[in-house]
Amino acid sequence: MSTKQSSKPKNRSGWIMLAITLFLYGVTAFFDASITRSALNKSLDTLKMITPILLVVFFLLALMNTFIKPKSIVKYLGKESGLKGWLFALVGGVLSHGSSYVWYPMLNELRNHGARDGLIVAFFYARAIKLPWLPVMVGYFGIAFTLVFSFYILLGAWMQGVIADNIAAKNRASF
Amino acid sequence: MTPLSTRFKQALTGTLTLLYSIVPMLLAVIGLVGLFQTTVTPQMLHSLFSGVPLLDTLIATLVGGVSVGQPFFSYIIGGELLKEGISLYAVTAFILAWVTLGVVQLPLEWAIFGSRFTIVRNLLSFIFALLIAWATVATLSTLS
Repeated sequence: MSTKQSSKPKNRSGWIMLAITLFLYGVTAFFDASITRSALNKSLDTLKMITPILLVVFFLLALMNTFIKPKSIVKYLGKESGLKGWLFALVGGVLSHGSSYVWYPMLNELRNHGARDGLIVAFFYARAIKLPWLPVMVGYFGIAFTLVFSFYILLGAWMQGVIADNIAAKNRASF
Repeated sequence: MTPLSTRFKQALTGTLTLLYSIVPMLLAVIGLVGLFQTTVTPQMLHSLFSGVPLLDTLIATLVGGVSVGQPFFSYIIGGELLKEGISLYAVTAFILAWVTLGVVQLPLEWAIFGSRFTIVRNLLSFIFALLIAWATVATLSTLS
């Protein structure tokens, strides 16, 4: 985990994935066109839902690259960030909206500027607490379950972050 | 020092280039999500459970990991599974894996963060889905 990747994914893998997806749609259309139509409608709904969030994330990314110096990122999310770093990651994860893949580019940018892997891992796991859906969870499983479950998610997010940091440190040491 | 407007323009160009580079993978993931939501029904997910708590917890984590959709779908399916006698261990693991594991978006995560990060993160998420399910149910049993 110590090797930082380029923020740009390899273009070819994206195109290959897209070709596979289109092939699957083609196969589905061959057997039942109504399934393909329904899948396309659902995909369009998803696209409509994530586009505004994606644009906000990319705008934030541009702002971040303009105003925030890598030194500040290292200070708040780097090796020496301590409790502050964990708080940023956990609270940020709980408050973040939209599908997790919308956040990938921004988080990788932070990572490339010195944010710890552990904090990124903790951020992703803390996203399991979905504030807007908590009342639905309480309705189905009760308040005790929701509270205990949410507590363990936060604890688990922190523990995974610590483990991920240790793995990253070991990998760095082995180079 | 470079003026702020120039720095912002440069940053905006950089992020737009990044956006452009992830568009094919993003569209592929969104397409797969739609296909999955159409072809895999809650009834199909239901039929995978055996009634054996330990095995069901493992199955639930795997099924939750490959499932996609809004989190409240997992609560609805989880609630139904619970009514049909599937253990709370399995239902908890299912709900957690639904939001923390992402088999469909794995290629995108892999392309952006790299293989090592993706493997470690998903492996940890898988293990912790089982651990948190166990800890949650154990704590609730103790409290009651």
